[in-house]
Amino acid sequence: MLNTFPYVPPQADALAVDDISFSYPNGHRVFSSFSLNARPGEFVAILGPSGCGKTTLLNLLSGFVQPQSGRITINQTAVRPERSELGYVFQAPQLFPWLSALENVRFGLRMSARTDASQQRAQALQYLRLVGLESAAHRLPHQLSGGMQQRVSLARTLALEPSVLLMDEPFAALDAISRNSMNEETLRIWAELGQTVLFITHDIDEAVFLADRVIVLSIAPGGIHSELEIQLPRPRSNLKTRRLPAFLDYRNELMTRIAQVMDAGDATVYPTPRLELTA
Amino acid sequence: MSLPKPNWGWASLPCLLLIWIALASRFPTYILPQPWDVAREALRWLGDRSLWQHLQASVLEELGGFFAAVIVALLLGTAAGLSARFRDFISPLNSLFMAIPPIAWAPLIMIIFGLGYVSIVLVIFIAAMFPMAVTIQEGVQGIRGGEVRAARTLGANAWQLLARVYLPASLPFVTAALRIGFSQGWRALVAAEMIGASQGIGWMVATGGQIGNSSQVLLGIVVIGLIAWLMESFVFRRIERHYQKWRVQ
Repeated sequence: MLNTFPYVPPQADALAVDDISFSYPNGHRVFSSFSLNARPGEFVAILGPSGCGKTTLLNLLSGFVQPQSGRITINQTAVRPERSELGYVFQAPQLFPWLSALENVRFGLRMSARTDASQQRAQALQYLRLVGLESAAHRLPHQLSGGMQQRVSLARTLALEPSVLLMDEPFAALDAISRNSMNEETLRIWAELGQTVLFITHDIDEAVFLADRVIVLSIAPGGIHSELEIQLPRPRSNLKTRRLPAFLDYRNELMTRIAQVMDAGDATVYPTPRLELTA
Repeated sequence: MSLPKPNWGWASLPCLLLIWIALASRFPTYILPQPWDVAREALRWLGDRSLWQHLQASVLEELGGFFAAVIVALLLGTAAGLSARFRDFISPLNSLFMAIPPIAWAPLIMIIFGLGYVSIVLVIFIAAMFPMAVTIQEGVQGIRGGEVRAARTLGANAWQLLARVYLPASLPFVTAALRIGFSQGWRALVAAEMIGASQGIGWMVATGGQIGNSSQVLLGIVVIGLIAWLMESFVFRRIERHYQKWRVQ
């Protein structure tokens, strides 16, 4: 007799992309037999040059678009855009300009309406405090700097307490100094909340500084070029970690790999087709 | 931040008044009356309450046509903003109606519906609806995809998306549309009343011209301008203030 009990792995993946392929309606192939996994609480950075399909990957992960074959699961169930255990932080803060910082953070809580208004406000304030912006709660987005806006955006996503966080080049639009301090902030918050993070970036330093594991993508038709475990000690800080010889070694290694990716690819940058979102 | 610059706007009306007085002094009163002659005419019209009666007729027509136009423009504009297919379908019609001066429809409408309230309301409707629909459509189209996307990932369903994102985001455009619609409607109203009406401010201007009473014509013009100005400063500016603070980009 075969054992009919379902196989339960010792630690199931928080996020699993299983052998997917995807091409756009215009025939442009972005992924073929692509797989990717993240353990619960793992910080995974996805590194790749422009045109390697990072944005497409994110759209697939969020369930906004469906792969032609293969499966994407989050905590063992299929992805859908309205899944609450998934949190997104986009490159632009995408705050609602007519709402205060506090009301922006409350937005998601208000949509599900599981708690009453005062509880929602208290919870929103708690997450604003987590990103260090309690004092700016009643300011409107245009009264905040780019870095502050992105922190409000992060708080807005975190307030829904997602177990998996997808971050799409969230600090790419910031200057280098703000970016470094946001990187430290991200690690502090991650250490506190312990979500699984998938962090998409084209910044090698950022990837090394943040991640447990860096996945280097190859240029479309995409796949994984290689992976690199980052075994730098935690907690990491800008002053200490970025000076470690090991940090520089990881960085140089990744630079070499990115150069390989660029040589192998035809270096054509494919613009990501615009997606019509249905309400 | 810069220091507040002196605003010379207050001087424009007194300046116009001075030019008027200077010009009027060179013509006999029955051709170009002085401002005080027009004021005396106003007192006469106010005295026998006929000014109120005409004003009331005009305002009721304006409101009827305007509100009908707002409702239809909101529906058409939102639909055209959300659906590319509907936009493709409606754009040629919009361009066509916008290209024809609304007053050109007045004679036909009056043949069909006769002189009176219904005809004038219809002319106002045609004048106000199309520019409003286009403005609302642009507003809905201009809503950044990113905000919609962010709202969806935060769990908003279709209805919440409409109420919590599309509506507040398009409010500035809706106000702009109301303003455009009201002023277009008001212009068309006066013109339509001059063609075929038995009362109203436009009728007042037209009959003033026919009987050679230039004071009455000028009084009508002043009242027309005054109503437009009152709407602008006491209704539209006030609505605008609500979102002005977040629209500073």
